[in-house]
Amino acid sequence: MDDLSAKAAASAVYKVSPELQHEVEQFLYLEAALQDEHRFREWLGLLSEDVRYTLSTNTLAQVRDRRRGIAPPTTYIFNENKYTLERRVARLETGMAWVEEPQSRTRRFITNVRITGQAGDEVRLSCNYAVHRAAKARDHHTFYGTRRDTLRRNGDSWIVVSRELELDEFVLVTANISIFL
Amino acid sequence: MDDKLNVRQLVDAHKGTVKPAIYIDQDIYDLELERVFGRSWLFLAHESQLPKAGDFFTTYMGEDPVIVTRQKDGSIAAFLNQCRHRGMKLCHADSGNTRAFTCPYHGWGFGLEGGLSVVPLEQEAYRNGLDKSKWGLVRVPRLTTYKGLIFGNWDETAPSLEDYLGDMAWYMDGFLDRREGGTEVVGGVHKWVIDCNWKFAAEQFCSDQYHAPYTHGSAIQVLAPTPENKSDGKPLGDGQTQRPAWANGLGGVQFSEKGHGSAFFFTEKPDANVWVGGEVSEYFRETYPEAERRLGSVRALRLAGHNTMFPTLSWLNGTQTLRVWHPKGPNQIEVWVFCIADKAAPDSVKEALKASHARAFGPAGFLEQDDSENWVEVQKVLRGYKAKQTGFCVQMGLGFEERRKDGIPGVTNYTFAETAARGFYQRWVDMMTSETWAEIEARTKEYQKELVHG
Ligand code: FES
Ligand SMILES: [Fe+2]
Repeated sequence: MDDLSAKAAASAVYKVSPELQHEVEQFLYLEAALQDEHRFREWLGLLSEDVRYTLSTNTLAQVRDRRRGIAPPTTYIFNENKYTLERRVARLETGMAWVEEPQSRTRRFITNVRITGQAGDEVRLSCNYAVHRAAKARDHHTFYGTRRDTLRRNGDSWIVVSRELELDEFVLVTANISIFL
Repeated sequence: MDDKLNVRQLVDAHKGTVKPAIYIDQDIYDLELERVFGRSWLFLAHESQLPKAGDFFTTYMGEDPVIVTRQKDGSIAAFLNQCRHRGMKLCHADSGNTRAFTCPYHGWGFGLEGGLSVVPLEQEAYRNGLDKSKWGLVRVPRLTTYKGLIFGNWDETAPSLEDYLGDMAWYMDGFLDRREGGTEVVGGVHKWVIDCNWKFAAEQFCSDQYHAPYTHGSAIQVLAPTPENKSDGKPLGDGQTQRPAWANGLGGVQFSEKGHGSAFFFTEKPDANVWVGGEVSEYFRETYPEAERRLGSVRALRLAGHNTMFPTLSWLNGTQTLRVWHPKGPNQIEVWVFCIADKAAPDSVKEALKASHARAFGPAGFLEQDDSENWVEVQKVLRGYKAKQTGFCVQMGLGFEERRKDGIPGVTNYTFAETAARGFYQRWVDMMTSETWAEIEARTKEYQKELVHG
């Protein structure tokens, strides 16, 4: 069994079959497409009941402190479970979530998909993401980051068990984050 | 009076009108940096962020970057984050611990106490001699703490922090002094950019309860307490009064003085807003008796509502969000948001608070998203020629100001009012058009006297 909790990239390639790689990638693309098409209820169906969805802030630390393992504290941007993710979708459905009213357009790009471990019916992967959002006539926002997902086999498809997001900004340059990354 | 930019013609607090040039004009903004941010008491950090000697935290006063440090003797000092050699930004970390600050440009080194201690190649390069004692960091001359919050002021002639706060201290105590041991910052600092003038954000937290039902309509709908709603193991807002606070017939209050503002509704029980975690709402109920002993029932029951300490420090009771609106030109702010908890709260409550704070008022927060969107869109419209000249209505509750006899201090009105906004803009005008603090204080006093004659 492989370690599913490692955060740093392994120094060697973890070998998987082309079939598994293909299957996982297609699942990630499907999930992204459902969100881009605003089919959020269907997207929620691809998340496990015990799903964890997190994103924390980044900080700037001097090298001396980094060597000593001292870092400025971080805090959550997202710290979601199935219930709060569903409530975020419900919020969009009220027609009063003004930031998404009229609705924005989004495009999600997923690259560098690397399966990094398997245990039982779960696979661990990491990938990079870019999300472009167009809103309010001429606002354009781009979010770049990386994430570590755990997927669980669900019949002949998958469900997301955990998604640990990182976003490559220190001071966020958007007024808010009103979409799922 | 020295009104070189004619700002008195743009704000009429007596009639309740504001001309939007105050939100976009570069000259006005430049004068704000000098006369408002250069003279006001500005929040720098929380003492809990600097527990040990050598700890530092970098922030801004207006647009000036500053370093706040814990000294070897336990005191706190703050310095302009600018090397005295050629002006390089000295410290680029958010926070940390250090013995000295070394400039990345030519390597000048400054001690924790701000003195210039190291000059590379001093013998070889400064054959003419360099008087290092003259080239220490620029110190923030006035620095003081109030119940854990550290404030700085560039103006040696400014009144004491206590005088500057006036009765705002009474409202602030309700946030900072609920339990023995005071408060601390939980987790890190949220930082993000909003393309709007700083006064939109500061004024809203000062005076605007009125936007909540509509702007936050979506969050109020979807975060209402229900049995299924077990986000932190306990339903959100577990056991709290569900009906809107303004419908309970108990009334409420808005406060205004010296540009500061605060407002809340009275409640029967210590009820935080419904969107806090169940563990958090339970904590507030359990600790109510202690809070009541320390603060009396009005402030102990108050676990909601908004506040701004002029000019840019705002907070919300119960949700425990404290934020600074750092100005970045007339059309942009950088928001820095801190989650504040009672030090004596159990770790599990602090963790639940951190989660519910981010959920409601982080940059992806259920409520925060809609606030920033309003300010950004207002700012965009102000590019228009006609839009710039069109007066805004700040007349809610005009003429209903009073001084209460029940111990709730200051100039007050009903919660839904714009008394605090009018007071905020009057104070702003008084600072923008006065050369001395004596003039500022005299003008503000005169305005407040006219407001509640008798
Ligand atoms: S600018 Fe800092 S050492 Fe030269
Ligand atoms: Fe709001």
